[in-house]
Amino acid sequence: MDGQRKHPIWAKLVGYAAFCLVILILPLFITDDYLLNKFARYLVFGLVAMALSISWGYAGILNLGQAVSFGLGSYCMAMALKLRTIPIQTGAEGLPDFMVWNNVKSLPWFWEPFHSYGFAIAAGVLVPTILALLIGTFVFRARVTGVYVSIITLALLVVINLVVIDRQRLTGGFNGLTDLAPLELFGLTFDPYAHATYYLIAVSLGAALFLGLAVVHSKTGLIMQAIRDDENRVRYFGYDVAAYQTFALCLSAAVAGFAGMLYTLVMAFASPTFLAVPVSLSIVIWSAVGGRASLLGSAMGAIIVTGVQGSLSDTPAFLETWTLIMGALFIVVVLFLPRGLISLVDRIPLGGSARRRAAAATVAASRSGINAG
Amino acid sequence: MTDIFNQVFSGLSIASILLLISLGLAIIYGTVGVINLAHGEFVMLGAYAVWFLEDHFGLGLFPCIVLAFFAVGTLGWVVERLIIRRLYGRVLDTILATWGLGVILQQAIRLSAGAELRYVQMPPGLSAAVHFAGVDVSAYRLFVLALTAILLAVTYVLIFRTRFGMRLRGVVQNPEIARCFGVNTSQIYALTFAYGAGLAGIAGALVSPLKSVSPDMGTGYVVDAFMVVVVGGVQSLLGTVASAGIIGELSGGLAYLSNDTIAKAIVFLGVVVLIRFRPQGLFALRVRRG
Amino acid sequence: MPANAVGATGGTILELRDITVEFSGFVAIAGLTLDVHEGELRCLIGPNGAGKTTALDVICGKVKPASGKVVLGGREITRLEEHQIARHGVGRKFQVPSVFRDLTVRQNMEVALCRAPGVLGNLFRFGNSGASEQLEKLAELVGLEEAMDVAAGALSHGQTQWLEIALLLAQDARLILMDEPTAGMTAHETAKTAELFNRLKGRHTLIVVEHDMGFIKEISDIISVMHQGRLLAEGTVREIETNAEVRAAYLGSGGISGA
Repeated sequence: MDGQRKHPIWAKLVGYAAFCLVILILPLFITDDYLLNKFARYLVFGLVAMALSISWGYAGILNLGQAVSFGLGSYCMAMALKLRTIPIQTGAEGLPDFMVWNNVKSLPWFWEPFHSYGFAIAAGVLVPTILALLIGTFVFRARVTGVYVSIITLALLVVINLVVIDRQRLTGGFNGLTDLAPLELFGLTFDPYAHATYYLIAVSLGAALFLGLAVVHSKTGLIMQAIRDDENRVRYFGYDVAAYQTFALCLSAAVAGFAGMLYTLVMAFASPTFLAVPVSLSIVIWSAVGGRASLLGSAMGAIIVTGVQGSLSDTPAFLETWTLIMGALFIVVVLFLPRGLISLVDRIPLGGSARRRAAAATVAASRSGINAG
Repeated sequence: MTDIFNQVFSGLSIASILLLISLGLAIIYGTVGVINLAHGEFVMLGAYAVWFLEDHFGLGLFPCIVLAFFAVGTLGWVVERLIIRRLYGRVLDTILATWGLGVILQQAIRLSAGAELRYVQMPPGLSAAVHFAGVDVSAYRLFVLALTAILLAVTYVLIFRTRFGMRLRGVVQNPEIARCFGVNTSQIYALTFAYGAGLAGIAGALVSPLKSVSPDMGTGYVVDAFMVVVVGGVQSLLGTVASAGIIGELSGGLAYLSNDTIAKAIVFLGVVVLIRFRPQGLFALRVRRG
Repeated sequence: MPANAVGATGGTILELRDITVEFSGFVAIAGLTLDVHEGELRCLIGPNGAGKTTALDVICGKVKPASGKVVLGGREITRLEEHQIARHGVGRKFQVPSVFRDLTVRQNMEVALCRAPGVLGNLFRFGNSGASEQLEKLAELVGLEEAMDVAAGALSHGQTQWLEIALLLAQDARLILMDEPTAGMTAHETAKTAELFNRLKGRHTLIVVEHDMGFIKEISDIISVMHQGRLLAEGTVREIETNAEVRAAYLGSGGISGA
């Protein structure tokens, strides 16, 4: 039961605060904008992995369709930015270029409201959330659990991916939405290489980590974990299990949608590959490697894995080998370190846990006492 | 009339390949209880085995099929010994570990055989079209259909008519009791996993002349095959056959009415609804709860 | 009706009326009618397959009966969902002890303490809900006060059984359903459990499914005997032991004392 030992909440807070401090002062040491953009991307992955940790690590819902939320968020932002781009063919107020190429005559109705940034940003969070609400209600009310939830979310991911690619006239199809204007908000310009973009992402990740921490330490978070352990037992205490599961899925989707919007800002395009199976499985891997039941662990898992991958990407041969090593590392983690790399940190003894160990010793003693009696 | 027949045959052709791929997956999931996401990579390895043997040793397709079965089957056995056996009872973790395995296999092929597309020759005797019931059908596709039927029969006999099959069914129903009666459950699991992997190898070998061979060719197959298994119901051989037939014909038919992409999307949506209302699959018996 | 005789301290809290349960053709319960009084400890016994566990399943909503109705404190709860029934004051202990193995004993109790079941309301509840004194007391009652911060998965089998009982007390259910609470317990642990149950009488209403006659004699007021999905007999230990029908039902297993 060694892996079970948890640090007291203050130690956690210190750890989270230290992490936030590091990511906030990082730009002081990086002069290369290209490199900063890379780090911004890793942080976005950290955010989306942290989102998965809420549903998977805490509520036990392995959502293999996490990329749906991420991708939809990304498209919402990209649609707004696309409408700000002045098309070369038609000039200002004209249709987006790909629509012109596809002989679309007028802007489709669902594109209209994306002229407003406010609407787009709200949609980037709300569209994935509402979708998660529908899926959660559909699935959890029927008490579908475990593997079947994973299969359903995976299948829905494939469906949405196929539809986005197929409806090229409305979505840009296989090419996605490219040639986007930078986001301008509060007098700041968030282009991919700007410091403002990096800070926006770093602050978002920090805020999300602390808010997430508050949620998982609330009673709702406790009940989510109880459901992960034994959902029937929770039901017979009077809780509406499906409501809690749906909540976890929605919260996770909202954060992932937000991460998707940020990803559009750092990449300057949106693509159907953002809402495809490989991305979804990568998110699962990041979270598993870092520690599925830890928000910070999941985020750091994503940052470390993508960071190493990114630093090798300049030399293709290394990258290929790295992918091979990644696969092996992942299997090793699943087999021998199911709680991820963060569980190594949990094993570091702290003063506060001495009492706990004493208590554990007492239990062991009383247990042997009862058995003897 | 010929139009309809053409359509049915094309659906049947899709179904036979789906069935070949799903059969191994269904056996592994139904008996060992492992969701093997590396199954697509097993199929891919079968295809590469044919390409390699043909290219380097000039072997024809038929001996390659046999060799692919044993090569991929052996790999399956090793994988079960090294990885899978440590994960029994942790279904969600098997999804993760086998996905990692898939990445390794794909990457290993990419590094050794290259990322470019490879092509496999169709056996000269089967490349022609056969005139059948008023329409021309591909001889090779008929061959695939026939071989699928044979493999299905072999699998049926193996499970329901042999000592191994009897022990296997015992292990599926109750591993503890089977163990008490002296059945080596661990060996049964390993052999079953190997057999399922071997079937994937054959599927890959049979697909290789029809499609281009590439390291990532398996990814698409595994999701489709998984849907077949889920629709058919775990532990139901007949269910797997029927569901491969339904999904194959449905994909063919819907593709005829709209296009391949939308057909696939509709089929998947159907699968989602099905799981919601009948997680035990279409063809599994209802069992007493609690 | 002998049910009105001994130990009944209040009005009827639970009524089962003509309950029938079928599992794809197999009749598990065939027209069961049962009354339980407020504050009573009722033992439910019967040979294997008599439908005892299924009867508990019907009361707590796990199984929906094909016909008949369940009335709790004057309100019909037959068709309610499990969590709604739980909110009406029904607690359930399962045959296989089920607790939250990854959570500490204290966290287990916090979950069981279901004051407000809503998702959004509980988002703003942190730490121990101001009920820690009450929880410590409960832990003491079942001998787990030293183990409050230990993961439940690290407890022994007997301790797990007690933890689940403590959870039901934290839930503060009016009616507690216990399915073989002493299964797997040592003689010493069983005796301690009997003592605990006798203390709970009066404050809670309990229905206990048991096989251990020694334990039943220690705790019970009224015993209800089920056979083939029906109520066969009802009465005190003495009445049941001398009942000819009950003897016939247990034929071959050496009477109820040998069961």
